[in-house]
Amino acid sequence: MNIVVCVKQVPDSTEVKINPETGHLIRAGVPSIINPYDHAALENALKLKKTYGGRVTLISMGPPQARSVVQMGLALGADEGVLLSDMAFAGSDTWSTSYALAKGIAKIGKTDAIFCGMQAIDGDTAQTGPGIAQQLGIPQVTFCEHVDIDGKNFIARRHIDGGHEIVEARPPVLFTILVPKEFSPRCPSFPEIHGSVKKPYHVWTADDIGAEKHYLGLKGSPTQVSRIYPPPQREKAEMFSGSAHEAAEHILAIMRKGQFIAE
Amino acid sequence: MPSMDAISRGLVLDSLKEYAKRRLPYDLIRDLDHANEFPAEILKEMYDPAVLGVHLLMIPEEYGGVSGGTYDIYRVCEALARIDLGIATGVFATFLGTDPINVGGTQEQKNKWLNKIAKENLMVAYAATEADAGSDLINLRTRAEHVVKNGKVAGYRITGNKQWISNGGVADLYTVLAMAPGGPSWFIVERNMEGFAPNKHEDKHGIRLSNTAALALDSVYVPAENLIGLEEGKGLLQAQAVFGYTRLMVAAFGLGAGWEALEQAIRYSQQRIQAGGPLSDKQGYTHKLIVPHAARLEAARAYIEYTANRLDGGEHGLQTEGAIAKYSATENGNKAAEDAIQALGGYGYTRDFPVEKIKRDIKITCIYEGTSEIMEMTIYRGRWQEHLKSRGRWYLDMADEMDKLHASVHDCGAYAAGLALRALAAVMEECRLQKLTRHQHVTFKLGRLIALAETAACFARAAAPGKYPDSVRFDAGVYKALSRVYAREAALALSVEGLALVLGASDNSSGLSAAMNMPAVQEAQKGLIADMDLAAAGLKTTFKAK
Repeated sequence: MNIVVCVKQVPDSTEVKINPETGHLIRAGVPSIINPYDHAALENALKLKKTYGGRVTLISMGPPQARSVVQMGLALGADEGVLLSDMAFAGSDTWSTSYALAKGIAKIGKTDAIFCGMQAIDGDTAQTGPGIAQQLGIPQVTFCEHVDIDGKNFIARRHIDGGHEIVEARPPVLFTILVPKEFSPRCPSFPEIHGSVKKPYHVWTADDIGAEKHYLGLKGSPTQVSRIYPPPQREKAEMFSGSAHEAAEHILAIMRKGQFIAE
Repeated sequence: MPSMDAISRGLVLDSLKEYAKRRLPYDLIRDLDHANEFPAEILKEMYDPAVLGVHLLMIPEEYGGVSGGTYDIYRVCEALARIDLGIATGVFATFLGTDPINVGGTQEQKNKWLNKIAKENLMVAYAATEADAGSDLINLRTRAEHVVKNGKVAGYRITGNKQWISNGGVADLYTVLAMAPGGPSWFIVERNMEGFAPNKHEDKHGIRLSNTAALALDSVYVPAENLIGLEEGKGLLQAQAVFGYTRLMVAAFGLGAGWEALEQAIRYSQQRIQAGGPLSDKQGYTHKLIVPHAARLEAARAYIEYTANRLDGGEHGLQTEGAIAKYSATENGNKAAEDAIQALGGYGYTRDFPVEKIKRDIKITCIYEGTSEIMEMTIYRGRWQEHLKSRGRWYLDMADEMDKLHASVHDCGAYAAGLALRALAAVMEECRLQKLTRHQHVTFKLGRLIALAETAACFARAAAPGKYPDSVRFDAGVYKALSRVYAREAALALSVEGLALVLGASDNSSGLSAAMNMPAVQEAQKGLIADMDLAAAGLKTTFKAK
């Protein structure tokens, strides 16, 4: 099977701060990492490659320094890497990004499955994966805990409220993948990193993938972010013990006192 | 060897940090330090190519390594030192032990031994030092005697004792320096050879996670093919050939451990409220315990990078530069760690906080791979020759270069660095005219002053462009302020200490004060407090409290 994995370089969210006056992310000195959901998707794809054979190709979109996440994926075992990098892509929203990635994947060639992280930790939209499937006109299976292969088909364990469902899908298909509970992301070793430099790696512009420029970038995006702001700090929760009845009485008393409900 | 590309190097550093985060929490390191225990399992894991393969950095690709350049090795050594200097030493010892083979080995020896070290994840030790032979290796007493068979030298019997050998008790392979009939020579000794016995692990002040042991060699038979380079008498040359390079690694240790201690102090200072405000906002704290150290360590970094880039560019030797880098980074790192304890107050004095351990660990960097005093001597010797050969122009030319730089970039510290260099040129010339270098104290002190002036110039050069490599974590405003703080310190120290040095050694120093341009040095101190304020604010933003 040929699997394409979409990866995104994101700021390490544990280090990100927002300037409360401007609403901008303070990116200076914040390390960049591979989006953890994409890392999980990549590990799933690499496991399938190890078990059943096939080929894993990475695709990312971003500035030249985003090569870092592609090379990391190559070091971990992917076969080929593609970075869509062009000023024309700058400021793209999820629709434009999905459009560009779909064009890039089409250029990669025969693809049986596309693995995406369920969402990215910087934007948290969870829209880009499904958007790619729509652009390519292929089915999608979202919120997958794990994807396996059975003969010619893929078998996905899909997370749903209160449990899971098993979905069988014929290729070509797109999966969005969750970070498993006990996920311990691997880091490539020194020789793996050294070896990754020799693997095929391509930088493609908007022209290379045949993308129409009016669908790209800030101008081509149907949505715009008007403002980013940190959520207000929550006050410390009050904890109390006792029976359910006592707890309900206590909560009612607080709500009355705060005049959320009438006396 | 040329360096890796920046992305590969970044990934290498990320993997190392991530490994340490998972496998080497401070609690474990503290317990191992307390128990004086070498973490053999951890080191083996770090050597495992499926996990990290850290030892492969030193080994060329054609022998199964990853061909790290000097710059890469400096960055990895700095990162290792931030984790634990004992573990860093365990890795460094293999780098160092492999060096004689890398430098002096025949093609066949490299094929055999470097491949073996790479494939079998061998831990290596470098066995040169003896009880009475440290930097004065010529005094070595370990002997290698010929074993002749059929009229040919078939091997050697090595007898002697080695002292303070890192990885001494745990290595698989040893490169041992011994006096052969043809002179000092390196031999490859395997752990299981008969007559070879490591002694107990030393109970040290610091780097207690690093195994250090004496070695006893009692008529150990080594086949002739284990003589490195297959030629006797090349040992000292082979040892000296790599000093520029190996001392840079120890410099990186001083830099990494010093910065780790300082960063902890900076983060702590934002949380500790005293007299209504955080310590990080008080000049009495920051301008004494934090900012000067940050400036000195960044000056050392600039010099390390300058030397590493020259070595990666194909230059050889650079012993004086290696010595300046080591001296500057380790002495300043040691002082930064000392003040980090002060900065944490009572907490810093307990073993619950890493600065106490860092302070004990970092002291070794001023001792091993040549003490700071040997560095002062080496620096003096190297640059005195340049002063004489150039008829006193060596530092004047460098000062002219600084003036030129100042004309185009006025805020990078080049002006004060130029004053420091002119003062240095004047002091050295006065020492020549009055033959003051007959005093050993003068020569060693000149070593210190040379290091100070050259690192100031190097820092100004590094700060000038406004765009920096990813090793620099500050924006141009803060980085340049640090350079100016350091350059002022250098100019003042050069003029005051230089004058005192000459006055102390002779009755006559007329004209020296004028040659040093003391009024200009004094004038250059203006703006120091404002720059320190700027630097203190920048350090607080860069290293936020967690």
